[in-house]
Amino acid sequence: MELLEYIQYVLAPQVLNGLTVGVALILVALGLTIIFGLLDVLNMSHGEFYAVGAFLTIGLGAMGVNFWALIVLAPILMIPLAIAVERFLIRKVYDGADRHVTTLLVTFGLALVMEDVLKLIFGANPHRPENPLPGASEVLGIVFPHYRFLLIIVGAFIILVISYIVYRTKLGSMVRAAAYDRNMAASLGVPVGLIYSGTFAFGVGLAALAGVLLAPIYSVFPTMGRDFIFMAFSVVIIGGMGSILGAVVAGLLLAQISSLSSLFIEPVWTDPIVFGVMVIFLMFRPQGLFGRIGHA
Amino acid sequence: MMNSNLGRSMGALCLALGLASQVMAETPIKIGVVTPLSGTYAGIGQPIRWGMEMAAKEINEAGGIAGRQLQLIFEDEEANPAVAVQRAERLIQVEKVDFLTGTVNSGSTLAVGQLGERNNTLVSTTVSYADSITGERCSPNVFRVNARAEQQSIALAAWLAKSKPDARVFYIGPDYEMGRSTVAAFKAKAEQYGLKTVGEFFAPLDAKDYTQYFNQIRAARPDVIYTSVAGNDTVRLFSQLAEFGLMRDVTMIGSAGVITSQNIKAVGKAGDGFTTGTGYSPDLNIPENKTFVAAYKALYKQDPDTFAADSYGLIYGYKAAVEKANSTDTDKVRAALQGLSWSTPQGTKQIRAGDHQGIQDMLLVSIKDGQFNVIDKVPAEEAIGPDVCTKF
Amino acid sequence: MHDRITQTFRGSHVLTAVLVAAALAFMLVGIANNDTFYLRLGTEALIFAGLALSVDLLLGYTGLLSLGQAMYFGIGAYVSAVVLIHTQSFWLAMSASLGASLLAAIVGGIIANQVRGVYFALITFALAQVVAKVIYNTQSLGSSDGLIGIPVVDVNLGVAAISTSSPAGFFLAVLTIIIGLYGLTAWLLNTPFGRVLIALKANERRVPFLGYSVWRARLAAYVLAGAIAGISGALYPMLRGFVSPELLFFSTSGNALIAVILGGVGTLAGALYGSIILIVLKSVISTYTTHHLIVIGSLFIALVLFVPQGLTGYVRPYIVAWLERRSTRRSNDQKPSMPTAVVLKRDSS
Repeated sequence: MELLEYIQYVLAPQVLNGLTVGVALILVALGLTIIFGLLDVLNMSHGEFYAVGAFLTIGLGAMGVNFWALIVLAPILMIPLAIAVERFLIRKVYDGADRHVTTLLVTFGLALVMEDVLKLIFGANPHRPENPLPGASEVLGIVFPHYRFLLIIVGAFIILVISYIVYRTKLGSMVRAAAYDRNMAASLGVPVGLIYSGTFAFGVGLAALAGVLLAPIYSVFPTMGRDFIFMAFSVVIIGGMGSILGAVVAGLLLAQISSLSSLFIEPVWTDPIVFGVMVIFLMFRPQGLFGRIGHA
Repeated sequence: MMNSNLGRSMGALCLALGLASQVMAETPIKIGVVTPLSGTYAGIGQPIRWGMEMAAKEINEAGGIAGRQLQLIFEDEEANPAVAVQRAERLIQVEKVDFLTGTVNSGSTLAVGQLGERNNTLVSTTVSYADSITGERCSPNVFRVNARAEQQSIALAAWLAKSKPDARVFYIGPDYEMGRSTVAAFKAKAEQYGLKTVGEFFAPLDAKDYTQYFNQIRAARPDVIYTSVAGNDTVRLFSQLAEFGLMRDVTMIGSAGVITSQNIKAVGKAGDGFTTGTGYSPDLNIPENKTFVAAYKALYKQDPDTFAADSYGLIYGYKAAVEKANSTDTDKVRAALQGLSWSTPQGTKQIRAGDHQGIQDMLLVSIKDGQFNVIDKVPAEEAIGPDVCTKF
Repeated sequence: MHDRITQTFRGSHVLTAVLVAAALAFMLVGIANNDTFYLRLGTEALIFAGLALSVDLLLGYTGLLSLGQAMYFGIGAYVSAVVLIHTQSFWLAMSASLGASLLAAIVGGIIANQVRGVYFALITFALAQVVAKVIYNTQSLGSSDGLIGIPVVDVNLGVAAISTSSPAGFFLAVLTIIIGLYGLTAWLLNTPFGRVLIALKANERRVPFLGYSVWRARLAAYVLAGAIAGISGALYPMLRGFVSPELLFFSTSGNALIAVILGGVGTLAGALYGSIILIVLKSVISTYTTHHLIVIGSLFIALVLFVPQGLTGYVRPYIVAWLERRSTRRSNDQKPSMPTAVVLKRDSS
């Protein structure tokens, strides 16, 4: 096959698909890395919040709520749950000696409970909300569904907005200050407690948003929280914990690796390859590509 | 004096014997059901439970099995063979069940079957369709009343050759042993009928996104796509294929587990037109099934599926075997089961003595508007493959 | 070595002795009742207690949270299964499993010990996922169905032989092995090497200043833990006659972790108690609801928040205090006029 044809009919679609997966992955990983970067908490239940977002689409959708409204509604509905989790679970173990371990354990237990609760309420069978933007178009010989275009655009928009907030607004600088030095920030008048709760809510809200956006194409079922764990953690580690730019770059990179690798190798080897990349980073550049939020 | 003593002891003996036989007649026959009541396969465990409970209720109301009441004892195996074996052992040792059934995935069936073999208890599955269970890994204590993968494949291939003799077929499967062997088995039969293979790929289990493989499909331009995915993977594959417009002018076919009552709603419109070879459909138009469906709907307010029908049939099969053997002794029931013919919602089934595999008429079923419809039938003798079990 | 930590170990030993006594009593009751199921359930609890032990060694003493110990358990189980199918030799299976898990743990340890803390947890988690997936897709190992047909073998002890199908006999054999692993671990932690491990948990940055290599100590601990998990895993196919990939899944590692937290982190005895309690708890809860994870998950969270030292951790200080009273009372009887400090010096070795 000619090189140009190869690029147009084989490479380009793969890259586009990788972009969709990448955007989804970034949304999930962003929340995780922000929580990790600011609160120094590894949220093992992050995947479950992603699942809750998706299930809200099913549950509220069945009650007649419009899908587009849910994109805004789902993260907002997560706020009380997130604040409760942060205040009553995470903050309790936060000041212990092995904070990393205990927060990991607490969020691990939370993940168990959340998954089973979802199963209790919605049953074990899969669900799928109707695609709100059906149809596909052919552009330059590549067929691409409308909804996935929208996904890429919406995802990119959200990422840009977040970057703007974090790096160019006062709120963002407070968050970065609190990440860098909690006590100093507090003594400068930054409402650290509020920032912590708010950031956690924001992080899991992002996960829930990803759940809503992906539900029409990835379907909804109680164990879906495990879908992204491996990849999201890899993105956080490779990108640098707490780094937004790192999450974006690593997310796009890893998504493209898994998308393009299926052209050359057996798909079952994708996970080991990603794992290998992660290990190499940890060995030679443990702070990831871009280091830590507030510390860059 | 002596006479009255003798008389009294004789009387006591008679009373004791009389009481004993009363007790004997009243001890229930116990069937242990180790089935996934939680976890991913809970949606299959439920119709199994319902089918069996309905059968037990009917049998008990009609007087039980040989005068004894039938009791079902359920345990949750969480779709994990390690848990299944643990619970099954409890049923055998503590509850002292006469028969074991209920396992869904083939790993659990094989492990529980081995346990049955080591504990002189008979085991049957009503769901597992891996050929090996009554094939290379058969066991004298393991039975299967539902159709196995080979029967499904033969039926489907025969129908495909008949209705689309020049079809170009593309194969999609989940990348694990069962997924690959199902595809391979069907491909072999299809190629025997002269149907052309134009491509294949195997995606990892639980793959979220199949779009990276769609290029291959586009390049191959198939008329028919055969798949062996199941559960959530089906929902994703089908909805994504529809999303990308790859279902236009393509007939989707696959193994019987691809779309079941568990995921048919989530698959939605993308599932319309999907055809498979299977052992049951609720709209099967024979009198035994009409009675069964009516009773099931009255009790559980929904249509039965293949898991319910096969499980219901098993209980009646066991009843027939016990009554034929006039005992619940393992060896006698085994002998009675071998070659047994009995009436089920799918018509008459027979258990082949050589490998303990149930033989039945196979149906070709197609989905339309979210419902299964029977479109064709393949008689039992044609659909059953050879007996490859050499262990007994 | 004789210091505060030794005394806490003595407390753990008392708790373990109580457990062994209870286990033996349980076994005798089982024999009297001709029981099969409960003895084998107990044996399974003990086998998984070995896995929990390996988690506690890492988490409770070295300060490393490993989320992938099930990998070594599974490797031990599969190797044992394959060896048993082909040779029917108990000792060969055990040695092969030990060798395989040592090898795997060395490789895994080199990979994982590049990092600390949370990253370590993630790496062990990912490593276990990757290996589990490879086994899941390997046809010669039975793929997703696993391997059945592991024969019943005899544990040949020279003077006598115990069949693995004997409920009480194999229970006793497994009890001996697991307590042996406990004893070995406890002894090791009481040596200078063991103290380095404990120092790692207390303050890792200081350890190099004391002249010890952090990397080497952690690797040694990790390999030991892997070996313990592997030996425990090797016993599983002997009990149940089959192995399946679910043994390597995260749920198995997770259960071990829950058992350790439940029983008490950092006591070794807690791992044993926790495993047994967890199995009992799961059986009981399952008879009432299929949503047992909600109960166990909530219990787990409550423990981490409010009783982080777990059951044995709660009880042990009392036992240690009681032991101390006994020993000072005894030494006071022997030498009533000696000041306490001198007595203690005499006691140290």
